[in-house]
Amino acid sequence: MRSGTGLGLISNFRFMEKERNRITINIGPVHPSTHGVLKFKVDISGDTMKKIEPEIGFVHRGVEKMAEMKYYSNFMPIADKLDYIAALNWEVLYASVVEKALKVVIPPRAVYLRTMMCELQRIMSHLLFIGHSGEDLGNTTLFMWGFRERELLMDIIEEVSGGRLAPMYISLGGMYYDLPPGLIPKLASTLDIIEKRVKNEYRALSYENGLFKMRTVGVGIIEANLAIKYGLTGPNARASGIKCDLRKNAPYLAYDKLDFDIITADAGDAYARFVVRVNEILESIKIVRQIIKDLPSGEIKVKVPWIFTIPPSYTFVRQETPRGEAAMYMVTDGGQKPYRLKIRAPSLYAVQAMSEIFVGGKVADIVAILGSLDPTPGEVDR
Amino acid sequence: MEFLDEIKAKFPNVLESVDGSNENESVLLLKDKTKIKRVCKEVKNHFDILFMLMAVDKPPKIFELNYVFSSYKTQNILTIRVNIERDKAVIDSISSLFESADWEERETYDLFGVEFIGHKNLKRILLPEDWPGRPLRKDFEVTDEVRNWTGLDLKF
Repeated sequence: MRSGTGLGLISNFRFMEKERNRITINIGPVHPSTHGVLKFKVDISGDTMKKIEPEIGFVHRGVEKMAEMKYYSNFMPIADKLDYIAALNWEVLYASVVEKALKVVIPPRAVYLRTMMCELQRIMSHLLFIGHSGEDLGNTTLFMWGFRERELLMDIIEEVSGGRLAPMYISLGGMYYDLPPGLIPKLASTLDIIEKRVKNEYRALSYENGLFKMRTVGVGIIEANLAIKYGLTGPNARASGIKCDLRKNAPYLAYDKLDFDIITADAGDAYARFVVRVNEILESIKIVRQIIKDLPSGEIKVKVPWIFTIPPSYTFVRQETPRGEAAMYMVTDGGQKPYRLKIRAPSLYAVQAMSEIFVGGKVADIVAILGSLDPTPGEVDR
Repeated sequence: MEFLDEIKAKFPNVLESVDGSNENESVLLLKDKTKIKRVCKEVKNHFDILFMLMAVDKPPKIFELNYVFSSYKTQNILTIRVNIERDKAVIDSISSLFESADWEERETYDLFGVEFIGHKNLKRILLPEDWPGRPLRKDFEVTDEVRNWTGLDLKF
């Protein structure tokens, strides 16, 4: 007995010595729950994180350089691969920048269709987030369910545009195609299904589930001033009680004619970020229903030639993507290609803020916090 | 625009408005790059974050830096535009004032080679440490060195 106690003391002592010289561990870059390729260098002592250094750039494709080498219209397929989970939002953003620089006004039906596509994409992105959260916390059923509902909308997008992940539906000056006949009733019934499942089935498995709450409540707390310090936007900021939503505060497309609320929560933890996104799905469903009701008829595009020039100008546009405020700043010099196109990806700021959010947390919570911030390496690295 | 007048009043000779800016997207041209930190300190009273930092390469002489600031309460956007010499691309870092400038400055350093004095961790961010050249410069060429780059010499 006595020698046993002694051994215990020695091992305790060694443990303390290790605590003095912290251990550095690498998480990623290829790890199933980094949602792509992100790497973290984490200094731990015991299982508490003391210092964390995110590393990015593993899927850097030089999108900003590619933009300078292509005609305005030819950049569209690259824009929709920036964030491969919310491709349509980026297509709309890029189209808006070029149209603003060209001073083209798109017809009302195209405005409403774009709004609808943005919201459908938001629902899909948040459903994928819910699925991934489930997977990150070991809840594979939720993962399957998230993808099951997303698939219903994927079918809609496929029917409309022909593509699934990278639809290429938005063209400069409007949309490529009108909605196929019979799509609206199908969409309406799909929304009913999703609403019912999110409200009822998901509740039991996620946001009112005791186990789920144990893993997320009080984990990865972002206080409002930390969110502001690092420039977090979108659901991550709204979960910290910041009422910022460009759809409401600086309306673009048809958002000023639609009735919806900004969803916020106060806690700022992983659970709040989850609940905000769940409620945003319901809010987006509300928006799409209104669009279906007053979708104007008429033209879906104005004619914009494939190759054109834009006189020297600076154009700045920002919009709300599912991950926050995305922006593009385009400089033109009168040529057929952009002189410079700077892309602001909201995920970049979320990843940057991780160096402070993680400090003091447990190693086992890394995946839960990372998942709750919902970054996409595609737009982080560009 | 009250904030615009206030900021301009503090720096009467070095800041001037640029035409073509609309109601809530104002652009100010800063003529003296050594004043950037003091101007940003004043901007901080009216804006919350550095929204983005865009560098534009204008050969043969100029790098143009566009600091875009935004606020959570109002929906105003302010761009501070400053020109620096291309062959001596050095400017004060504002990452001590705006935390979100940290990675934006690293990115500008990475892709353009602009050096930010006072930045605490100025190293490449998107590209590997041994990547040859600054790809977003207009005179960047795909040389043999770039073509044969494998990344195998990198130390982890």
